[in-house]
Amino acid sequence: MNYAIFLGCKIPAMVPAYEDSTRAVLGKLKVGLQDLPFTCCGYPTRSLDLDASVVAAAHNLALAKQAGLAILTPCKCCFGQLRHAQRFLEEYPELAERVSAFLQHEGLPFPNGVKVDHLLTVLSKEVGLENIRSHVTAPRTGLKVAAHYGCHALRPSAVTGFDNPMAPTIFEDLVAVTGATPVIWPRRIDCCGEPVSASNPDLSERIARGKITSALESGSELLVTACPYCHMRFEELAKDMGLPLMLYPQLLGQALGIPDKALGL
Amino acid sequence: MNSQDQLWDVAVVGAGIAGMSAAIFAASKGLSVLHIGNGSGLVFGSGLLDVLAVHPVKDSTVHEDPWHGIELLRKDEPSNPLALVGPKAMEVAVNQIMEALGKAGMPYEPSTTNHFVPTSMGTLKGTFGVPTTMTSGAKAFENKWPTLLIEIRGLREFSAAQMVHTMGDKWPGLRFEKIEFPDSKGVFELYATHLATALETNKTRQAVIDIVRPLIGDAKAVGFPAILGLSESTAVHKAFEDALGVPVFEIPTMPTSVPGLRLKHSFEVAAAAAGVFRRVQSVVTGVKFDNDIATLTLQDATGNQEVQAKAVILATGRFMGRGLFADREKVREPLLDLFVEQPESRENWHSRDFFAKSGHAINRCGLLVDSKWRPTDAFGAVVWPRLYAVGSILARQDWMRQKSGSGLAIGTAWAAVSAMSDDFGSIGGV
Amino acid sequence: MEDTVFNGGFFTTALWIALGVCCLGLLWRLVSWLIIKIGPDAKEVSFLQRLGAAIIGGIKAIFSKRLPGIIGGFVLDSLLQRRLFKVSKKRWLGHMLLFYGCLVLIVMHALHVLLADKLFSDYQATLNPFLLLRNVFGVATLVGVVLMTSGRKKDWGKVRPARLPIDALFGILVVVIVVTGFLLEAQKMSSPKAFNRMAEEYGIDEDEIKGLRWVWKLDYGVAFPDLKGEPDPDLLEEGRGYNEDYCVGCHSKPQHAFVSYPVAKAAGLIATSTDAANVDKGLLYIHIFACFFAIALLPFTRVFHVVADPISLVVRGAASSAPLSKAGRVNRRALAMDACIRCGLCDFDCSVGPIAKWMNNQELLPSRKVQATRLVASRSEIKAGQAERLAVGAHLCTDCGRCTDRCPVGLDLADLWDAGRGDLSSKGFPAPAVWVKEEPAIAWAEALGAELGRVPPAGPLTADRNQFSACVQCQTCTNVCPVVANSGEDRVDLAPQQVMNLLRLGMNDLALGSKMVWDCATCYQCQENCPEGIRVTDIMLELRGAAWRQLGPVRDRRRSI
Ligand SMILES: Cc1cc2nc3c(=O)[nH]c(=O)nc-3n(C[C@H](O)[C@H](O)[C@H](O)COP(=O)(O)OP(=O)(O)OC[C@H]3O[C@@H](n4cnc5c(N)ncnc54)[C@H](O)[C@@H]3O)c2cc1C
Ligand code: SF4
Ligand code: SF4
Ligand code: SF4
Ligand code: SF4
Repeated sequence: MNYAIFLGCKIPAMVPAYEDSTRAVLGKLKVGLQDLPFTCCGYPTRSLDLDASVVAAAHNLALAKQAGLAILTPCKCCFGQLRHAQRFLEEYPELAERVSAFLQHEGLPFPNGVKVDHLLTVLSKEVGLENIRSHVTAPRTGLKVAAHYGCHALRPSAVTGFDNPMAPTIFEDLVAVTGATPVIWPRRIDCCGEPVSASNPDLSERIARGKITSALESGSELLVTACPYCHMRFEELAKDMGLPLMLYPQLLGQALGIPDKALGL
Repeated sequence: MNSQDQLWDVAVVGAGIAGMSAAIFAASKGLSVLHIGNGSGLVFGSGLLDVLAVHPVKDSTVHEDPWHGIELLRKDEPSNPLALVGPKAMEVAVNQIMEALGKAGMPYEPSTTNHFVPTSMGTLKGTFGVPTTMTSGAKAFENKWPTLLIEIRGLREFSAAQMVHTMGDKWPGLRFEKIEFPDSKGVFELYATHLATALETNKTRQAVIDIVRPLIGDAKAVGFPAILGLSESTAVHKAFEDALGVPVFEIPTMPTSVPGLRLKHSFEVAAAAAGVFRRVQSVVTGVKFDNDIATLTLQDATGNQEVQAKAVILATGRFMGRGLFADREKVREPLLDLFVEQPESRENWHSRDFFAKSGHAINRCGLLVDSKWRPTDAFGAVVWPRLYAVGSILARQDWMRQKSGSGLAIGTAWAAVSAMSDDFGSIGGV
Repeated sequence: MEDTVFNGGFFTTALWIALGVCCLGLLWRLVSWLIIKIGPDAKEVSFLQRLGAAIIGGIKAIFSKRLPGIIGGFVLDSLLQRRLFKVSKKRWLGHMLLFYGCLVLIVMHALHVLLADKLFSDYQATLNPFLLLRNVFGVATLVGVVLMTSGRKKDWGKVRPARLPIDALFGILVVVIVVTGFLLEAQKMSSPKAFNRMAEEYGIDEDEIKGLRWVWKLDYGVAFPDLKGEPDPDLLEEGRGYNEDYCVGCHSKPQHAFVSYPVAKAAGLIATSTDAANVDKGLLYIHIFACFFAIALLPFTRVFHVVADPISLVVRGAASSAPLSKAGRVNRRALAMDACIRCGLCDFDCSVGPIAKWMNNQELLPSRKVQATRLVASRSEIKAGQAERLAVGAHLCTDCGRCTDRCPVGLDLADLWDAGRGDLSSKGFPAPAVWVKEEPAIAWAEALGAELGRVPPAGPLTADRNQFSACVQCQTCTNVCPVVANSGEDRVDLAPQQVMNLLRLGMNDLALGSKMVWDCATCYQCQENCPEGIRVTDIMLELRGAAWRQLGPVRDRRRSI
């Protein structure tokens, strides 16, 4: 199993522990990772200029295509954006033509058929739950864990194909393999509020607060995320509200017996 | 997993109550099920599951016992799909779905007869399956308990004043109070769903309880519009009853309502739990059959895809669900161009009296099926040996007037899946 | 002769003027570090606070426990240029050659009285290894200049950083200085006049000089016009003896001056005439005045980074051990303006590089943004068109921090971008999500209608009626929308289903400026749940892009009135 790892912009800059723990966990599970000179996935640009956002994504997809690798990204927004770009390239042939010319000028191929997966998908589908379970040496038995899904991987399901958008199970299954008990909480598939954190901080905080409250009132002892944006949204707030927060590979890493330091804890 | 990578046992087309039920039944029988369709039509439902309340339609005779109603139907309209399902199978099927919905977070009161639930229009709705959050309403009315209704300022789809006005003479102890929902000052329009999710948090719930408690007075029950939680309605409802010390009930509101969303949510959870693979935002645009395999073309935002299945269940509904389509001359089935039983000409679609109690011929048009629920042509020959049709697309029923929508959907789904799994048994498919 | 030059009042005056200008320039730039205000918080700190922060910061850095780390960083980043090395070996080599070439020439040659003489007890410019080395470093400097300037476009492609004319002038001066230096050396080697002067200085008498002249003609290449034919072998032998006695101690074989000597040789024949025409003096004037000019120019060119960068690196070191005070941060931003060498390393893997190329807007790239930040901070008015481009650059930046990691001079670019966005906002160019919400949707629609008459559709989805005509106004999208649910007292103006209804009614101009469109969290709940399969979120995003394109110009025009 070999992937080009797509960290995006936020992980190295704001949530380096996510990179550390992801690499540690995948290393342990024998998933090979390769670094390519990726740039912005285009997600932040999509609000203003769809074409530019598709180009940004296509540039990255083309790098992976050139290297003959599938993409693994731990970021749900990057994941969604790369998938969206693939969709738009099919939907708008005229745009695809311009993008193709642009890439050609850069010496890159047209990026059709590149496989894009999120970290959670790779873990549950490619590595496999049973395989992971067999590596667990320090199960987190008894810990009640709320998994936060994150919008841009789950929806729109027709584009992302991540899981059942109404009643997903992938994240809870992955929590369960660590030995912890997944909590089914009312707002588990709702938005975290991060996308409006800059333009409307109050609104963003109300949304996030509502989610954390929901997790707490459902008896969760830990909130896990698998996206840097969601993580950043919750980081301060969860601490204030008394709900411990972790990145999923940190939780899994602990169960696999990886020392905290290597997980950025 | 990608839906195009495997040969499915069953592809279910359409995700109304019929499609959802069929998918759940088939998956529980161990078949691999690909379920295509947007379940969002479910939000139009009220959460109440009607089995059969009215028969015969022309007399508007209301039955307390739906099974007895179906028995009568068997005599009067032997080819009505409800009659073909029969009371026994119907009971098993509906109970199974209610149980599945309960496990998925929307419990129903165990039931053997129809109940009469007060609605926001001030009417009583005779229905079989009642969510536990609504049952006390029927009891309160039956016993004419002094009852307090809560109206919420800004929630336009519910007027307790209107209810009291309409029901007051039959229900003397009924009164109402209008309250301000927490943190809603100055907000012109409130949405029921948002209130429902807000009530799932302790703080808001407590605030509402604190507002309502002093208003109870002599009331023996308190009725709210259906906003008591979305996915956690059981817990929210219980919290209200515990805190207020009297039975609390929800009053179903106009579509699209919170219970409609709950129903959709619970069906989705139940289907996932049964192992159904869902393609939510896809529609089927074409079906081709060869000897053993049906190839379905799916269309969604990413374009077209083909999937294959050994059997197909058609649950695409009527005109609103787009399972049937009426053009200038006739009613058609748009997906496969199946034979649609219908009046000779357009003039006969409607009775002269638009409000005729007996309904209109057009309401009874639809697909004809054989004894195994397989669509047939005008001469009774099946179209494809493992194509089944269920739900409101079927001919010779009038679920709206018979008040039998869910029963029709669930019952036919059950019967068709049973027939189909017998077939699978004989072809050794599973 | 040199002495006559340096003792001449004219040269001394010129030198002092050059040094004076240089010092004033330095002072001016140093003080500017405490004056330039970048970032909204810059207004909150006084000059004295900034001065204090600079002094305390300096003291802290010197006595900090992390001093070894700071010095280590300085050695790696400043002296060895490791970050440049990672990006382009060629440019790295050019930079090293140029910098160290100049440095050695300055120490060994220009300042030999002050430095070289003290450092090396036996220093003599005409003696090996110094004779050889001077040529080596002269060549190194020239090669450095060539490497640094050639192939820039190819290396850098579209992201080539801007260069200022004054920097080019400085580069030319360096070339002039080195070339005239070689010519001077060559000229001196072949100059009988110089030979005669030395001979006079050493009091060599008439007899001795005859043989010596032959030796210097043959071995050292002095072009005596009167020596022709073959020398008398005895005379030559004698001359060699005197050479051993008087000259060899200070003069290595000139062949070691591997540039100047061939030049001298080639120019040998005309050497006499150059002597006669005082070309030597001319060259010397050019050489020295170019040096003076360069000294005076130094604080005003990019070369000033030799002063600013080490300080910037020390500041980075200090900031990594303890966060800077507000005044310290503000100082650091001002310092960045001088420390940035426009090397363009930050542009190299900027996350929005491909987008910059596609949009053909270099203002997205960090090396340009450094300058833009200053522009925005310094001007009270920015031209709308330009500001728009700058604003796009500022707001599309993903804050990935790669530029900060890359920057060889240790700038805190992340902080600079933040500050720049703040300045842009206060000058009236906040992010679109902010400015659109400044006016109600209806006001935008009116303004737009007044300008355009009919407003074109926002994009492919809004242009295609089939995409939204099936909407049955069921309200499901609104029911599942977390933004409507959480909008609190500051309600959204339109719920999603109302936005869809506007489209159905052909009024998408009213939707463009709607708060809902801009507060949408893009959670896709509406789209996933819509019973009619309408791509509500995709449409919201399309409306946003159109609002940015269509309302931006409207806003600019209204502001400029
Ligand atoms: C306003 C309203 C109120 C109701 N109230 C009640 C009530 O009080 N009690 C009660 O018991 N029931 C109620 N119902 C629900 C009613 O029971 C059901 O609508 C009825 O039984 C029909 O169910 P169905 O599944 O056959 O069809 P539908 O519910 O119409 O579902 C058909 C589905 O198939 C989908 N579809 C069609 N073509 C395709 C295709 N080519 N590809 C993919 N998908 C396709 C449609 O999108 C639709 O979702 C109500 C319904 C409505 C509309
Ligand atoms: S922080 Fe901004 S300017 Fe710097 S590299 Fe990233 S996107 Fe480019
Ligand atoms: S900011 Fe740093 S990396 Fe960028 S051009 Fe300036 S000095 Fe170079
Ligand atoms: S959910 Fe879809 S059909 Fe319903 S109002 Fe919204 S856009 Fe229209
Ligand atoms: S995508 Fe936007 S409009 Fe749609 S539900 Fe989410 S926040 Fe609301």
